[in-house]
Amino acid sequence: MDLLKEAETALCPSNEPSSEFSGVSHSPPAILRNMLPNGPTSSSVCADASQRSTVKSIIQAPRRKLVDEGKLKMISGRLFSDSGPRRSTRVAGEGVSTANINGITVAGNGTNHSSKYPSISKLGSAAFRSVTVRKGQSLSTETFSEGVRSELDDTRSNTATTTSGSSLPPDTRSCEHDSSVSRASMSVSKPASGGLQVLSLLKIIGEGYRLSCLYRCQDALDVFMQLPHKHYNTGWVLSQVGKAHFELVDYLEAERAFNNARLASPYSLEGMDIYSTVLYHLKEDMKLSYLAQELISTDRLAPQSWCATGNCYSMQKDHETALKNFQRAVQLNSRFVYAHTLCGHEYVALDDFENGIRSYQNALQIDVRHYNAWHGLAMIYLHQEKYEFSKHHFQRALYINAHSSIIMTYLGTSLHALKRNEEALAVIEKAIIADKKNPLPMYQKANILVSMGEFDSALNVLEELKEYAPHESSVYALMGKIYKRRDMYDMAMLHFGLALDLKPSATDVAAIKADIEKLHMPDELED
Amino acid sequence: MATESSEGEEETKLMGGNPQLVVDADLREMAMNAAWSVSSCKPGNGVSSLRDDNYETYWQSDGAQPHLVNIQFQKKVKLQLVALYVDFNLDESYTPSKISIRAGDGFHNLKEIKTVELVKPTGWVYISLSGNDPRETFVNTFMLQIGVLSNHLNGRDTHVRQIKIYGPRPNPIPHQPFQFTSTEFITYSTLR
Repeated sequence: MDLLKEAETALCPSNEPSSEFSGVSHSPPAILRNMLPNGPTSSSVCADASQRSTVKSIIQAPRRKLVDEGKLKMISGRLFSDSGPRRSTRVAGEGVSTANINGITVAGNGTNHSSKYPSISKLGSAAFRSVTVRKGQSLSTETFSEGVRSELDDTRSNTATTTSGSSLPPDTRSCEHDSSVSRASMSVSKPASGGLQVLSLLKIIGEGYRLSCLYRCQDALDVFMQLPHKHYNTGWVLSQVGKAHFELVDYLEAERAFNNARLASPYSLEGMDIYSTVLYHLKEDMKLSYLAQELISTDRLAPQSWCATGNCYSMQKDHETALKNFQRAVQLNSRFVYAHTLCGHEYVALDDFENGIRSYQNALQIDVRHYNAWHGLAMIYLHQEKYEFSKHHFQRALYINAHSSIIMTYLGTSLHALKRNEEALAVIEKAIIADKKNPLPMYQKANILVSMGEFDSALNVLEELKEYAPHESSVYALMGKIYKRRDMYDMAMLHFGLALDLKPSATDVAAIKADIEKLHMPDELED
Repeated sequence: MATESSEGEEETKLMGGNPQLVVDADLREMAMNAAWSVSSCKPGNGVSSLRDDNYETYWQSDGAQPHLVNIQFQKKVKLQLVALYVDFNLDESYTPSKISIRAGDGFHNLKEIKTVELVKPTGWVYISLSGNDPRETFVNTFMLQIGVLSNHLNGRDTHVRQIKIYGPRPNPIPHQPFQFTSTEFITYSTLR
């Protein structure tokens, strides 16, 4: 649903100028061509251009990458608002990206893009459309530089006839008339295999994007792997792969994918907010600050740049400055969901739960499926000991991203806080199975078992955990506590000692030392 | 407790001072939202000079000793460290020498928890509030008072350039008995 909206907003400049054709949108292309205000001239321009563009667009591809997207959007917005139909005949099928490239190239790209849209309408999938629209800026030239362009006209005419009966989505209108112009120049019929090839490519990309929107990330990754090498190694696909790895909490892989994405298209901002969060999680402060600097110099008006800068400050525990940066991102684009969520995280770090809740709610107003905000809300309620609320919000988050072992673990924690231990253990077991690399559910399981008085099984779990994370102080501290409860003072002492060696926080040092002092004191005398 | 009273008697001498403020990563500044007040001040060198992150400006008292800085918190907080910036080279007889730190619920029940003597300090001096007992690592209090009992060279009024107060960072993950230390655990414990 929100995808549709996105696609519409992205396409809205192209809708606007072509609105005069809306009445005849279902009629065959031939009529449309006659109705063009300056039909013959523009079509002849397009004719030269589209032939030339087959050569040109290849040369032009790197140059287009250099084009600064954010500023372009503003410029093109202005252009479209005051430019008349003459411009629209050439640029209508075009997305926003190439608006300021000179006339000939625009026309060339126009045909290029326009041939793409009908093929989408044939597939008729909303998700699919939004993929190509977003992708249009960075990927289209790479995908279509294969000389498939001319063949596409054939497929287009097929689709035009098949879909002419049904009502076309608004974005296909402009494209149709535009491509009819190019059809005039190339009435040669070519084998449809090229078009099918493109369609199959787009199908894979769209399917991958759909799965990743459903947070079926492993499936999405498998689908993206089906892409030919050449198309897999493009900025957009790699950043989608990075996002999928990020959702799977595989930050190392995500970092690699994003890194390659940046090499492939260094000026693309797509997914860079996620990349900065990945680096944040990996504690790569050098890389993160470098990324932030680069993004800021690429576009200081993009929310992604400020998200990266904010993450940089957040990692240095300067939460006030981080918050300012995230607020800047919100200010630049108040529809940018992730900036709201990051604001929420910073408010929580500053103990300002009220504003935190507000930020998360803002995020959810923009995108209900942004599960990070649900999770953030649930964490706040967990802090505030509103366990019923917390449980509900974790469930909402889990409903959206059903494979996240982190959310499952926290759902278990909140259930445990509600004294529903059996359910909690069941959820935790599921979390352990969902992600074998995540040690947290095991630890939580031990915690719950301790509170249920099942010391032996808790110890078994912790022993196993010790093998996995030998440098985790809290595991030893918890073991020490269990041994203490079972009156095994030597073992308790040993584990408390180990815990202290691993440099826990000052609060924990105090707690552990206090426990050690009380070791030989019977429990009743404790305060 | 017996340990507590003996702690009060004991006087630590602090020499030198650090040009740079270096604090453990697991501490955070607590007094941002606290109410700050001073017993007296010279116009233009008021309480705001203590918190402006500027070493050039200073608070100057204007009255009888002891000179007091009161910090009242909005809620009960755990405190561990007080850091002062003083400069003997610039302030000479205005430099504090004997400092007493008191804590309590309000003005009515302040209790001395620490006294220190500074010896010609220049830069940041750190006053730990922890006692010897591990259970007294932190001071749990609503209010902190920093009293300047005497100055170097028997000076009357005093100059303090900066004061920072640190407490432990709370555990970012609620409902955990301990904070996580290993990267594996920390990575998997947060969702951003």
